[in-house]
Amino acid sequence: MEFRPRNYIAADQSHALPRSRADIHPLSSPSPQPILRQVDDSAENRTTEEFFDPLRAPDSNPSVEIVDENDFERSSNGIDDSVQVQMKEWTSFKRLLMQRFPVSKTISVSSMSNTILRSEKAHEKSSSSTHLDDPQKSSEESTNVITRQEYVSRLHELKDEINRAWHSEDRVKSLKLSIKVARLLMDTSVLNFYPTLFVLVTDVLDMLGDMVWERIRQKAEFAEDGARFCSLRAENFGASDVPTDAKETCYNWFCKVGTIRELLPRIYLELAIFPCWRFLIEQPAESLQRLVMMTRGLADPLASAYCRLYIAHRAQKLPSHDTAHLITCVNDIKLIFTRISSTKETAHGGFADSKRPLVSLMEPSVEFIMKCILNDASPKRVNRVLVELGIWRSQEELFGGLPCVSIVLHHLLKELPTDVVCSHAVDILHLIKCSNDNSYDQYLNYRLVGLRLSEQISQIATVDAIINEVIQVVSEYGLDEYLKVVDAYLDIVLQNQMDDHLKTILECISKLASDKVLAEDELSSLQSILVKLLSHFKDLEHLFSLNHFLPILDMMHGSSRSIVNMHILDMATRNGYIHDPTTIQLLFEISQALHSDTDLVNMKHDDNQQQARLISRFVRMVDHGAAYEQHLAFLVECRGAFGNIIELKEILVHSSNCLATKALKDGKNHNDFVKSCIAFSEVTIPSIPGHIKQLNLYLETAEVALLGGLVSHSDGLIDSAISCLQSSDSMEGSRTVDSDGTLSSIRKLCSLLIMVPGNTEVGILHIPKSILSIIHSRSWSPRLRARLFCAIISLSATLSQERLPYHADHPEIMGNDLLFFGDSSYVPELLSLTESVLQNLVDIIEQESSRAARGSMSLEACNCIASSLKINEHVLPICSKLLETAKSCLNANDKYLTSTISFLDKNLHAATVPSSIAI
Amino acid sequence: MSAKIELLLSRPNRIYRPSEPLEGKIVVKSASSISHYGIRIALNGSVTLQVRGGSAGVIESLYGVLKPITILNRIIEIKPSGKIVSGTTEIPFSVTLRNPKEDNLERFYETFHGTDISIQYLATVDIMRGYLHKSLSATVEFIVESDKADLLNQPVSPEMVIFYITQDTQRHPILPELKSGGFRITGRISTQCPMLEPLGGELTVEASALPICSIDIHLLRVESVLLGEKIITETSLIQTTQIADGDVCRNMTLPIYVILPRLLTCPTVLAGPFSIEFKVAIVINFQSELSRLHPKLDPLTPRLWMAMETLPLELVRTRIKSQ
Repeated sequence: MEFRPRNYIAADQSHALPRSRADIHPLSSPSPQPILRQVDDSAENRTTEEFFDPLRAPDSNPSVEIVDENDFERSSNGIDDSVQVQMKEWTSFKRLLMQRFPVSKTISVSSMSNTILRSEKAHEKSSSSTHLDDPQKSSEESTNVITRQEYVSRLHELKDEINRAWHSEDRVKSLKLSIKVARLLMDTSVLNFYPTLFVLVTDVLDMLGDMVWERIRQKAEFAEDGARFCSLRAENFGASDVPTDAKETCYNWFCKVGTIRELLPRIYLELAIFPCWRFLIEQPAESLQRLVMMTRGLADPLASAYCRLYIAHRAQKLPSHDTAHLITCVNDIKLIFTRISSTKETAHGGFADSKRPLVSLMEPSVEFIMKCILNDASPKRVNRVLVELGIWRSQEELFGGLPCVSIVLHHLLKELPTDVVCSHAVDILHLIKCSNDNSYDQYLNYRLVGLRLSEQISQIATVDAIINEVIQVVSEYGLDEYLKVVDAYLDIVLQNQMDDHLKTILECISKLASDKVLAEDELSSLQSILVKLLSHFKDLEHLFSLNHFLPILDMMHGSSRSIVNMHILDMATRNGYIHDPTTIQLLFEISQALHSDTDLVNMKHDDNQQQARLISRFVRMVDHGAAYEQHLAFLVECRGAFGNIIELKEILVHSSNCLATKALKDGKNHNDFVKSCIAFSEVTIPSIPGHIKQLNLYLETAEVALLGGLVSHSDGLIDSAISCLQSSDSMEGSRTVDSDGTLSSIRKLCSLLIMVPGNTEVGILHIPKSILSIIHSRSWSPRLRARLFCAIISLSATLSQERLPYHADHPEIMGNDLLFFGDSSYVPELLSLTESVLQNLVDIIEQESSRAARGSMSLEACNCIASSLKINEHVLPICSKLLETAKSCLNANDKYLTSTISFLDKNLHAATVPSSIAI
Repeated sequence: MSAKIELLLSRPNRIYRPSEPLEGKIVVKSASSISHYGIRIALNGSVTLQVRGGSAGVIESLYGVLKPITILNRIIEIKPSGKIVSGTTEIPFSVTLRNPKEDNLERFYETFHGTDISIQYLATVDIMRGYLHKSLSATVEFIVESDKADLLNQPVSPEMVIFYITQDTQRHPILPELKSGGFRITGRISTQCPMLEPLGGELTVEASALPICSIDIHLLRVESVLLGEKIITETSLIQTTQIADGDVCRNMTLPIYVILPRLLTCPTVLAGPFSIEFKVAIVINFQSELSRLHPKLDPLTPRLWMAMETLPLELVRTRIKSQ
């Protein structure tokens, strides 16, 4: 057997692709089509094999999809869309409404609601409820307590019952039950449960309304014998299109509903069937105005607010979007709020506290109605709405300084178009100033305006006036309110470069917050403010030099501080290396704070990954320039400070190795420094879990040691690497071995060994033999082992060459080719090792159970052998045998197979010409 | 082997005017053929009077039902004797309600179902089958509304009456705190109302010393029957409509909107032997501890914590439903 002599330089030259300069980065997005084409062509010319560029997308036409989308949009009807959107909005509004108010588990039900309790006494009740208009016996004063769940499920039962009755033609029963359900809303004593109750009840009523609508529509469209005699398109039919019979039925429904004695269920039921007015009259919207007026008869503020909410919802079913009735609603609600807050003044203390929850329960109604009013409103209509709501005196005299109920104002400001807010900001601020009642916190309105203005900062005309006004208002606030308002305006201040104001704000914050433990709310506002500052200033040093910035940062604690710290770190590491020592020191302290805030929690937790990554990135981005010693000292400090970030320790090793390399490249005598770096790495590596990781880091360090000419160091490091490998399986045996990782690490070790001068004391093949013994002692997969054997063969073959492909880049280290030049025992020793490994290789391939794997392994082995050994009578049988195995396992047309055969042929041909020395 | 007979009117709502023909079909379902001596439709309309209470004395009450007043009593032959084949047979018919020879125009009162007075129209079909078989018959009620030609020609502009309800307008004793504290509820309400239009108006609570519990609109019927030389009148409640629930805001206008219930109302009738009139009462209930002690009372009885105003209401049938 004989090693194949190699001329690496010649081979490199013959196989290298000609280099040509690329003007555009091949991965940059703007399609560099022509250049790609060029590469493509040359590749095709060179090899006949097909070449797939994984980065090039398969030939697809994205424009096809876009066309489809357009078609879809065009086909769907515009009106249907808006109805669907409204329905979706309502559904999500209902869900939010139910979640918004926490409900206790049990609900006391007043006597009025024995509809709900009926399940227990169904028999007694059924006889007494024969009258459509059957007010419950009010003499029963006892209250019953049932659970929320029971209440809800009872309502669902009722809904089913109504549905069933309807479909078994007992419509009167459905109506009677629906009235009972609607009557439940008369009981507002359930307070926090009321919104949920509203949702459940209106669900039932909507269902009934839809069924009535559908029935009358069918009556209108079809004659009794089923023949269709007219068609009412939902969007545009008038009462005149509706036949008399259908009108008659429809009117009957309104008559039935009209006989309900109590006001609240009567309004709700009429609203449920309200869309049916379209069968009777041309302008049903006018009836809405009457219903809004009727709602005034409900003295209970909660009941009337939700009733108005239902009006707004049902009115959406009409094709016309008149908002006059909604304006009346809002104006009536304003009166109610005024009444609530005026009773507050006269009432005794305990009563006043109960107002807040009531106001917040009523809030969704204001919110929804306001949304309906200003939804897609034209500028002209917005103006009219503002006049009608009494906000503007007239179109000309804007914002007349009349106070407005602040909760109404809040939701108005929320819905107003941004440009209206921007162009009237100062007037709005004045309006807020004079609207100071108890229904809503004034500062929240100031805050809202700030947030709305921030939507379009460039549109604001009178920035100075606005900010001056706000700064003046907030100067009387406490910390929490101050922060909340200032936070909303900060973007405006920053974008307009109002540095003086910024200074005032920061000063004020630090004054208000000093000597105070910040509460959760304050912290989160402060966090938002600091994050805004961070994202505004591109330059960290500038930010640190801002007055009061660092003291304010110091006042923070807990998760908010961590978040701000993370933002700082993120910002610091985004713009390249960090050189400034003061900044580094500050960032180090920030990292320490971040670290100490998080290390109480388990570092493996996903949430903390981000912190660990940011700290690690910071450490990596630190650059002390030529002050190597200082940098190393920093690394040592980091190791002490951030002991439990594993990721960081790896970075520390990389950094110290990098530092050593840099020092070496400097050319000056840094021997001791390099030694300290290597020592640092060597000490750090064992504390990193994972043997493969350790192995790689040892190898990296060993390479650096070699580069520094420290052969004994590198020997020691390689020994550590080997022992890592030895202990790897015993430690990680239970887990599946990362075979690709192991393979590449050992291959790397093999390639490193080319450079490492052989140690004659322990035998030049000491390390390959250790590797072999590890391979034998492990239960690794045949595939991994086969590849490792190949690696050993390649290593031996390379070591046998007269001129090695590469050398350690240090003048004092002699390459193995020089070291063992002319040593007669050297090559035979390598050959004998190879021979035994070859046998192992052939054996292990036979052990592979999968046919396809066996085939490709054979080919791999074959290629390795052919490139390592001369194909002679000793080797040829092995190759043939391997090829036979491959042929039996693989398709005859397999490309790998055919190319391997041609490669073998070429080498066989070359080998037979000159006769060579055999052993 | 039974035969079924049904009388179907041409209009689902069964409303006909005296000048219009009553149309429909007789549907006979039979497994075998039926021979008969003729098919007839009998039309019957009458005013039933009853004295039960009200201003009637004990003796009058004993008489109970008075002799009904006949409005219409006609028998029309639809088919002469013959045979109806087996299966389903439909026999259409059309009969005039008003006998053109008689001038009984004003006697076609509209259908009304009250407590003492009931005005009802029935159509009965009979298939005469001789002695051996029971005759097949079916009856339906049809509803009569005034003839278009009979309608008042006057344009009905809803006549509104302005009302004030204060502590001083009350004819019954009221709570001392109400009397001294005072209250003032004003508004307007129509006193002449077309049948197909809602009773409209508005109401405003201007002031009230006591919080208000509820404001209701009661629709009342006043039925009078001539018994001998005595007129016996009874007022009863048709329908209550609440327009305010709880202590409503002061000086906010509340609408009065009451849809008149069908059949239970008819145009005001002032006939010789009887009359049907209507009233509307606005009743304010104030919040009071006393009211809790007397639950479930006749809503019309004046109480200490109540204030009320009763106004006459004339119901009319107008030419066009003005909606």
